Amino acid sequence: MNDQWTNRLSEYLDGELDSTERASLEAHLATCGHCYATLGELRQVVARAKSLEDSPPANDLWVGIRAGLTTARGADRPAVRPSGRRFSFTVPQLIAASIALVLLSGGSAWLALQRSPNTADRGTVTQPDPNARLAGWTGSTDVAIAELQAALVQNEKRLDSSTVRIVRKNLAIIDRAISEARIALRNDPGNAYLNLHLADTMRRKVELLRRVNDMAAARS
Amino acid sequence: MFATLAAAMLVTLAPQRQSDTSVAVPAGASLSVNNFGGGITVHGWTENRVKVHGETGRRGRVEVSLVGNTVVVKTGSREGAPSVIDLDITVPQSMELNLSGTYADITVDGVQGPISAETVNGEVNVRGGKGNITLHSIQGAVTLADASGRIEVNSVNEDIELTNVSGEIKVETTNGGLTMTGIQSSSVDAGTINGDVVYEGTVKDGGSYSFGSHNGDISVSIPEGANVTVTTATANGDIEACFALPLTSTTGKHRKTFKIGSGSARMELESFQGDIRMCRPQEMRDRIDRKHKRNEHEHEHDNDNDNDHDADTDTSFGWDPGSVSAYATRYAAAYAPKYAAQYAAQYAPRYARQYAKLYSRQFKNTYHLNTH
Repeated sequence: MNDQWTNRLSEYLDGELDSTERASLEAHLATCGHCYATLGELRQVVARAKSLEDSPPANDLWVGIRAGLTTARGADRPAVRPSGRRFSFTVPQLIAASIALVLLSGGSAWLALQRSPNTADRGTVTQPDPNARLAGWTGSTDVAIAELQAALVQNEKRLDSSTVRIVRKNLAIIDRAISEARIALRNDPGNAYLNLHLADTMRRKVELLRRVNDMAAARS
Repeated sequence: MFATLAAAMLVTLAPQRQSDTSVAVPAGASLSVNNFGGGITVHGWTENRVKVHGETGRRGRVEVSLVGNTVVVKTGSREGAPSVIDLDITVPQSMELNLSGTYADITVDGVQGPISAETVNGEVNVRGGKGNITLHSIQGAVTLADASGRIEVNSVNEDIELTNVSGEIKVETTNGGLTMTGIQSSSVDAGTINGDVVYEGTVKDGGSYSFGSHNGDISVSIPEGANVTVTTATANGDIEACFALPLTSTTGKHRKTFKIGSGSARMELESFQGDIRMCRPQEMRDRIDRKHKRNEHEHEHDNDNDNDHDADTDTSFGWDPGSVSAYATRYAAAYAPKYAAQYAAQYAPRYARQYAKLYSRQFKNTYHLNTH
């Protein structure tokens, strides 16, 4: 893990690095699964943000803002409405970002090392129907969970049978909770609570899998 | 079977080895303990020494060394699989502790420094502690009392209980309940999947409180005069309060917000399947007391120790003189659980150790474990 570069991935995506830094980072990306995975997650969030349509606020705030700007700039200078677009992240986007942080926080070497380039960069997610939107933001976590579970299958032979049994039991409990949350979300896809609850439950599964994998690795 | 039991008892009667080591430590020293199986018990005292008492099997050994500013206690076996070893350690009260085990119960009492305790299969019970306190178990309950600082407590398959704890608190389990009483904190984050969450403590202005469960109820105390914005969300449960709640807003069909006083603190109460209750502290304490008494009562009447209510052990059956075998069967059904539990409690620890040794040796041979 390289914090120096991880913290500069956003600048890389925005094209704000100079050529030397860019070359250095790209060289680093070739050898660092962690940064590569982070970059993939960031690309996904940005791609989703760009794919959103502008939605006007319930009340036209621009009139008041323009009046304020006009006052500040002086009445003789025409107010120009900014053409650049500010990103406004939706709940699912924030969830995706927060789960990415969980996945990529300290100790997630399992994920970073085992993530293949194809799964790290999953490209743009367009604006689909609500169910597809759910699938979109949970997709990256589903992939991470699948990879961690595959790692667990390999690693659980290092753990004693009672621990494996308890872990499986608790994973099943979490799976049931995830399943119930998904069903509820299908009926009410825009519900912020249900989105956040599903995200939090999936995060717990990721953390449990990561913890058990780390524990097994420590015994190798 | 009897031969096995007799052999086990003979082995049990073999003398246990004991070791005692004492190390003088400089101020600011820390303690690091790793014990594969058995127990780690740590007490605080006023002397500047660390005393390590170990009870080992015939092959077990305890190594104590001073590495830099850290007293390192390691356990191992002279040959074969890891031994089951009980460690009783006395340390200066302000000493920082790093305790880890695999099949180990961890108990700490009377220490006023930072504590890190982690086990896989065992309970963690800590009284005292100051600073960073991190307690983890996979399969074992975790309790913390009379501690302050930055608290992180985590289990997977059991309950967590915090009593008279202050500071920044983060508590999480998967299959267990969370009970927090006498809490003094402006930041609490507590969650479980399968269990109830109970909070009785302060709600400080500007504080942040988050309590969540998927399958359990959430019960929190809101002191009179608290200034807090409470956001509740439940998919299938009810929201109740022991006092009048001023509803501020409703978002969708699941989320409701209540502003109490100035609303400066933030509190989130979320349960997918369970109910959400808000009460005054005394009412909450009464509820908790009743729950404890109910648990004790159930435990006393749970003769077979299987956490049910023993409804199937009805002894008021009518005697059928024509069927001796039926009588015997019912007698056994009624009394066997009681005696099984009694004898299990009496002999299980002894046999558990012996079988732990036996099986760990087998596992070692099978998996070629690298031991000390």
